[in-house]
Amino acid sequence: MAEYIKLIDVTKCTGCRGCQVACKQWNSLPAVDTMFTGSLQNPKDLNYNTWCLIRFDEVEKDGKLNWLMRHDACMHCETPACAKACPSPGALTKNENGSVVHNPAYCIGCRSCIVACPFDIPRNDKALEKMAKCSLCHDRIDDGKKPACVTACPTGCLTFGTKEEMLKAAEKRAEKVKGVIYPANPHYETHVMYILPGTVGVEDFSHMNPHPKMPATLYWWKNLFKPFTLIGIAGVAGAAFLHYIIKGPHRVHEKKEGGE
Amino acid sequence: MSAHGDMIKVTDGIERVVHWILAGSCLFCLITGIGFMYHSWSFIATFLGGPYAMKWMHIFSGLAFAVSFVYSFFMWKKDCQFESQDLQWVLKGGGYLWNVKDLPPVYKYNAGQKAFFWILVACAIVIIASGVVMLNPLYYPVVMARFAYMLHAGAVVLLGAFIVVHIYLGTAGNPGTVSAMLTGYVSRPWCETHCPRWLADRDSWKPGGEKDVA
Repeated sequence: MAEYIKLIDVTKCTGCRGCQVACKQWNSLPAVDTMFTGSLQNPKDLNYNTWCLIRFDEVEKDGKLNWLMRHDACMHCETPACAKACPSPGALTKNENGSVVHNPAYCIGCRSCIVACPFDIPRNDKALEKMAKCSLCHDRIDDGKKPACVTACPTGCLTFGTKEEMLKAAEKRAEKVKGVIYPANPHYETHVMYILPGTVGVEDFSHMNPHPKMPATLYWWKNLFKPFTLIGIAGVAGAAFLHYIIKGPHRVHEKKEGGE
Repeated sequence: MSAHGDMIKVTDGIERVVHWILAGSCLFCLITGIGFMYHSWSFIATFLGGPYAMKWMHIFSGLAFAVSFVYSFFMWKKDCQFESQDLQWVLKGGGYLWNVKDLPPVYKYNAGQKAFFWILVACAIVIIASGVVMLNPLYYPVVMARFAYMLHAGAVVLLGAFIVVHIYLGTAGNPGTVSAMLTGYVSRPWCETHCPRWLADRDSWKPGGEKDVA
């Protein structure tokens, strides 16, 4: 199966929020009551029922006002921190097509994925004790379709295709609009990529991690302490056994005879 | 002479009950925690009714561990204060690693037992505090929550290894010891070997050894 990438060309986004609605529709996510908070951004944040969201930012740069709109959803990491942190097998899986998919049937609501995610994407439902996030519409991909958000996008801001195709398209487009590709770190591969306008920086967009990487604490936890838990227990048990057969147990009566 | 013959009472009922709540909850948390940490060992969760059930078992067992830990800290901290002779005991390997003639006489607990107590205290504080954070990780700054997950696992590396040492030295490594935590009584020669100064003290309190001094 091919590996896919969703490319988000922020320079083409008009903030219509068609992707937001299409996502809700395809994934049967109910609407939530919201409040006007002085911005077109609505709801205010991602939640259990809102897997993708257009974030609006107003940034003044070099005397010019930049009205920024950004499609925010799961980045579908090549080595997902959420799946690495997850204690329940099957609750978060990385697929060959590049998507990182949650399965509520196996989720135990521990929230370690939410803590681990470098992009702060997963959301928890308190009552259900389950997490939820964008699944890249892996069910549609398997059916030969594009994700719902991409299908709905009227401006060509969201495009979807094989990894090779999209990487090439991203470079071409970034060159044309003098933009930057995000994430830029070649050591942090994701299956969602952005083209950001060159007039503003990554840090001007709200809720965007300028330096995405696997949290160091997660690395220590899973790559070091995890193996050493069993190595320690087994090693000490082995050492105790060797002590028993070589030095022998500390017998009370033997010691008395020898000592006095 | 009591019903226990020439046996000497070294622990009272409260000590034994608290010890086994602490030990049982600790081992249960260790086993279920290993079930969470290694996906390949998820049969532990299957056996206990699935990972969701095991999550709550781990939390409630952790609560029992926390309560019994606080009680045992105040119960044993006085007996586990280090004294000047402990260094000598450690330098001679406690008589466990090579043959030693003149081991400094131990009071109630030797330097190794005291060290285990303080390692348990340090690890338990880290594990309980991080466990509390992990109970509601979204209430805390994300960096703090991330450290909690890391430290929870890190302290278990240390505590898990020392628990195995503790179990070995309390059972097979020192025949006659385990009854101290089962019936509460050990033999007089055992006391002469393992806690001679405490035994002398005890005998001086009441010759004949009837008095409950544990």
